[in-house]
Parts: sequence; C-alpha cells; structure tokens
Amino acid sequence: MKAFVLAEHTDAARGLCAAARTVADDVTLVAIGDVAVPESCADEVAKIALPEGNAVENAAETVCALADEEAPEVVFAEPTRRLKIVAGRLAAHLGASVITDVTALNDGVAESMYFGGLANRKMKAVGKAVYTMTCANYAEAPASGANAVKEVAWVEPANAVKVVSREPIVKSGIDLTKADVVVSAGRGFAEEEQLDIARALCDKLGAGLGCTRPLTEGVDWLPRETYIGVSGLTISPKVYIAAGVSGQMQHMVGCNTAGTIFAINTDKNAPIFKQCDYGIVGDLKTVLPAITEAL
Amino acid sequence: MKIVVAVKVVPDDQDIQVAANRELDYSKAHQIISTYDLNAIEAAAQLAAAHGATVTAVAVGSAAIDDSKLKKNILSRGVDDLVMVADDSCANLDAHATAAALAAKINEIDDVALVLCGDGSADNYAQQVDVQLACALGWPVVNAATNIEATDSTATVKRTLEDEVETVEVSLPAVISVTPDIAIPRIPGMKDILAAGKKPMNMAAAPEVPAETIEVIECLAPEAADRLGNVAEASAEGAIDNFVAALKAAL
Ligand SMILES: Cc1cc2nc3c(=O)[nH]c(=O)nc-3n(C[C@H](O)[C@H](O)[C@H](O)COP(=O)(O)OP(=O)(O)OC[C@H]3O[C@@H](n4cnc5c(N)ncnc54)[C@H](O)[C@@H]3O)c2cc1C
Ligand SMILES: Cc1cc2nc3c(=O)[nH]c(=O)nc-3n(C[C@H](O)[C@H](O)[C@H](O)COP(=O)(O)OP(=O)(O)OC[C@H]3O[C@@H](n4cnc5c(N)ncnc54)[C@H](O)[C@@H]3O)c2cc1C
Repeated sequence: MKAFVLAEHTDAARGLCAAARTVADDVTLVAIGDVAVPESCADEVAKIALPEGNAVENAAETVCALADEEAPEVVFAEPTRRLKIVAGRLAAHLGASVITDVTALNDGVAESMYFGGLANRKMKAVGKAVYTMTCANYAEAPASGANAVKEVAWVEPANAVKVVSREPIVKSGIDLTKADVVVSAGRGFAEEEQLDIARALCDKLGAGLGCTRPLTEGVDWLPRETYIGVSGLTISPKVYIAAGVSGQMQHMVGCNTAGTIFAINTDKNAPIFKQCDYGIVGDLKTVLPAITEAL
Repeated sequence: MKIVVAVKVVPDDQDIQVAANRELDYSKAHQIISTYDLNAIEAAAQLAAAHGATVTAVAVGSAAIDDSKLKKNILSRGVDDLVMVADDSCANLDAHATAAALAAKINEIDDVALVLCGDGSADNYAQQVDVQLACALGWPVVNAATNIEATDSTATVKRTLEDEVETVEVSLPAVISVTPDIAIPRIPGMKDILAAGKKPMNMAAAPEVPAETIEVIECLAPEAADRLGNVAEASAEGAIDNFVAALKAAL
C-alpha cells in the first residue's frame, strides 16, 4: 500500500513517516517548499519547489496531480493551518473527507475527540483515508527508507493565493509540557493586573503559568502557546491548579491526566469542582494570596 | 456586493448529557449557533457595513435546526436574510457533503463576493468545510484570517498561522475562514431581535447530498477519571491550611 505524508516541520515529517510505515509498505514524503527533509525516512521524497510569491497551499493542485500518478491509499498530514488546506483540497479531489486531529489509529479505525472531548469518536474512511495528526504517538517509532528524490513538476493553481508578506511570530519560549506544576488562570481574573497574584504563586511553587483560551483571544493577557485544551496544549503535570476556571470540557481535556488537580472558584456549582481532587469555593483575589502566604 | 456567512447550528454542549452507556444524549439540548460562527457573522456584518454590501447567512442541518428563536438570533446580528436547509437528509453530514450542500445553495445566490466561515465548528472542529466548500465552488480559500480588507475584485487577508503572520491576496469571489480574534460578536438588543422576526427566512429545499465518506463506528464519552472531589468553602475552619497541606503532599 502507498502512503503520502505531508509535513511542514522536520520532526512531524519524521514522526508521520514512521506512522505511515505502520500501515504502508511504500511511503512518499511530499516536501513542499523548503522543508528540511529528515534522513532515511521515506522510500521517496517528492520535492515540490514553490515558485516565488506562492502560498504553500498553492501546491495543492501539484499534490493532487502527484496523487493521480502514484495513487496513495492513505494520506497523513501535519495539522497546521496551511496543510489543513492542502489535505482538504486533496480529500476533495479524492472524494473523501479529512479525519482530523486523530489521537489513535488501529486497523484503519481512527479516533478523535468530539465536542471538545465530551466524547471520543471512532471513525473509518469509506474510500481513501486522509488523516491529520501530530506525531506525538510515534516519537519513538523508527522511520525508514532510501529517500529517493523526485522533483515534481509544478501545476499552476487555478485559484492562486499570493503572498504579500510574512512576519515571524515572536514566541515566549514557555514550554508548559515540561512543567511539573502548572497554575492555570481563567476568566475569573477580571483584569490583567490580577494575574500578578497567580505569578506570585507560580514563583513560590516554581510553576509555569497557563490559562484558558479566552485569556489569549480578543484580550492578549497571556501568550497563545500557554492555553490549555482541545485546541491548545495537552499537558500532564504532577500538580494542576486551576483558578477562576469553570471547567468546560474543551479546557479540561488538556489537563485531565494531571496527577492532582486543585481548583479555586467562587461558584460552588462550577463543573471544575466535579473534576478536581481539592477545591476551594472562594474569591481568587483573597484565596490565591492566602495560599502563597501559607506555602 | 453580497457577503455570505456559513453558520453551523449545533446542540448546546452545556445541555448534552452523558447516558449510562456513555452515549451522548442530545434530547435536552437547544439548537445554538456554533460558538465561533458568532465571530464570523460579526466579521461579515462589519465588512458589509464598510462596503455597503448585504449579508446572507446560510445554514444546513437536520430538521431540528428549524427553530424560530435560533433563526431570529442569527438575523439579529447584522444579517439581512437567511437561507436554511433543515432536513433530516442533511443531518450529520461530513465535511465533503456539507460543502456540497452549502455550495448548491450559495450558487443560487447572485453577486456573492465572499463567503465567510468560522474557525471550526463546536462539535468537530475539523476546519475542513471551508476548504471543501472552496473546492466545490471553484474559488480560492484562505483560513486563519485575523483581518480582511476587500476591494471589488480582491481581498487582502492577514492570517495568523502557527509560527508566522502571513499577508496574502486573493481574487474574489473567495471563501475565507476567520479566527475568533477577527471581531467580537455583538450582543443583540430587544430592537434587533424584534426586527429579526421581520427579515426574510428562506427555508430552502434540501439539495442532493453526496454519499458519506466517513463511517462513524462509535461515539462514547470517555470513562471519567476518579478524582477526590474534596471541596471546601474558603471561610470554613482550616480550609486553606488543608488545601495547602494537600498541595505540598502532591508536589
Ligand atoms: C471549538 C472550541 C474549542 C475550544 N478550545 C478551547 C481550549 O482548547 N482551551 C480552553 O481553555 N477553552 C477552549 N474553548 C472555550 C471553552 O469552551 C470555554 O469557553 C473556556 O474554557 C472557558 O474559560 P474560563 O473557564 O476561563 O471562563 P468561564 O467559563 O467564563 O469561567 C470563569 C469562571 O471563573 C469563576 N470566577 C469568576 N470570578 C471569580 C473570582 N473572583 N474568583 C474565583 N473564581 C471566579 C466563575 O465562577 C467561572 O466558573 C473552546 C471552545 C470551542 C467552541
Ligand atoms: C450527533 C452527530 C453525529 C455526527 N455524525 C457524523 C458522521 O457520522 N460522519 C461525519 O462525517 N460527520 C458527522 N457529524 C458531523 C460532523 O460533526 C461535522 O458536522 C462535519 O464533519 C463538518 O465538519 P465540521 O463540523 O468540523 O465543520 P468545520 O469544518 O470545523 O466548520 C468550519 C465552518 O464551516 C461552516 N459550516 C460547517 N458546517 C456547516 C453547516 N452545516 N451549515 C452552515 N455552515 C457550516 C461554519 O462556518 C463553520 O465555522 C455528526 C454530527 C453530530 C451532531
């Protein structure tokens, strides 16, 4: 069986090639633009050079043409915004739908979350299968292959997206996946300055500061790479302290494998209290400083 | 110029119950606008106001989405008219079929310059209907838009990707999906809701939808993790001390 792998980042390319190898005996890594190709990861590396000014997505037609020629049965794509478009266009071309954000894949049955983790859905592609997934489950799996290079001829896109400019996003460098203790701030923080009391607790505990999605959206109180949940980070720290967080499923799926969960919330009926080990019903403005003081 | 906004109607997840067999029970759930489609509606309304355009909302779903409160809600947010397909043949469509159904209805509307989609639906968050819709219409697509500037024939879009902000230009008509950052949804007033009742609501016939491309085998709530659930009022004697002791023990 033939598999295509689409990736923008080298780690994802390696991981997804390893994933593809578990189901396919013939793996082609489709490398669009200047992706750094990992060593010996696929049987074939199909290189698509991007003409100046073209958005990555403009390669979709070229990828479709390559698929017509090589007839992959299954496609693995890294879940970036750009590749969701390339994968989606390829799926449309193949008469398929992309099964997105797959968390497990066994015998052609893909699992992914439904309603932000309220349920897990098991699905099967009816025809050709196109998946997006991270390579997290395949970090240890070996990728292999001769990396035979094929230069793919550019197919002019019918609906070109022209790149005018690009600006890197300056990241905070914070990596909460490595933190043993995480304090998480929710909308119970009424103003940005109040975050200082969460920071004081973090300092005392050597903890990282995370948050719910609304604190990074519309308001920019904390960096986007620190929100936890279905569309953000999944973390498993030893200790998770949620302050002013209601406990919606979309958030909790990102932290519900933590060792011990602590919660502070003014509303005794907040869903978080059904999902925590220790809770305090109270105002974070007074409770957090009291905890910091007592530690 | 006409702006179409694609609005998905979903059961309110706050009211979805988990049954004893771990299946989801939607019987108590009201039909609501998928959260991030509220931002898409607002973006469409703001763009229309800036360009003297009109906004048509298009929604496709099961018979249950034909709900008068919901329809008024959509129309109270700067939307001029609504085209809705509410037919059980359109329940639980996959992205490919949803796009085909939306495209069939959008092709019946004249003078469409732009179709806006939300960031992803509340149930699936597949972020695929926008792409498949553009393919079905034969138009360009841009996702993750945080700003849109349109002329009569082009749109310049700022998109916030994982590692960079990219500014791109596409010719119109085009499909653009927007992130929640693009516009904060308005809170409709009583006047808006009353006016909404008088706006055109076109209940359209169900188009032919393609066969399923994804077969769902099961959809079950995860086993709940066992948590202690030791909750105390802050004012209770020793509450903070006990909490801190537990915290120290867990470190
Ligand atoms: C498709 C989709 C994807 C999403 N993905 C994510 C995601 O990945 N991550 C995420 O976090 N969210 C996500 N969300 C949003 C999610 O549904 C919730 O809206 C969000 O998690 C709620 O954040 P919150 O708990 O901070 O705010 P709220 O739900 O508003 O809760 C605030 C809480 O603070 C309490 N409070 C108020 N004042 C105080 C005080 N002084 N002291 C103590 N407590 C106080 C209140 O009682 C309340 O419980 C997503 C939504 C959708 C539709
Ligand atoms: C109980 C239940 C069971 C389901 N079972 C299946 C199943 O068996 N197989 C399957 O493939 N899918 C199933 N679905 C449907 C699936 O969840 C999605 O609706 C479908 O895959 C479309 O993708 P999406 O919702 O992720 O939309 P996204 O691609 O995330 O949506 C992006 C944007 O497209 C627009 N949009 C999406 N849908 C519509 C719409 N209907 N009308 C108007 N605009 C829209 C909105 O602007 C939205 O913000 C089921 C849904 C429910 C509620």
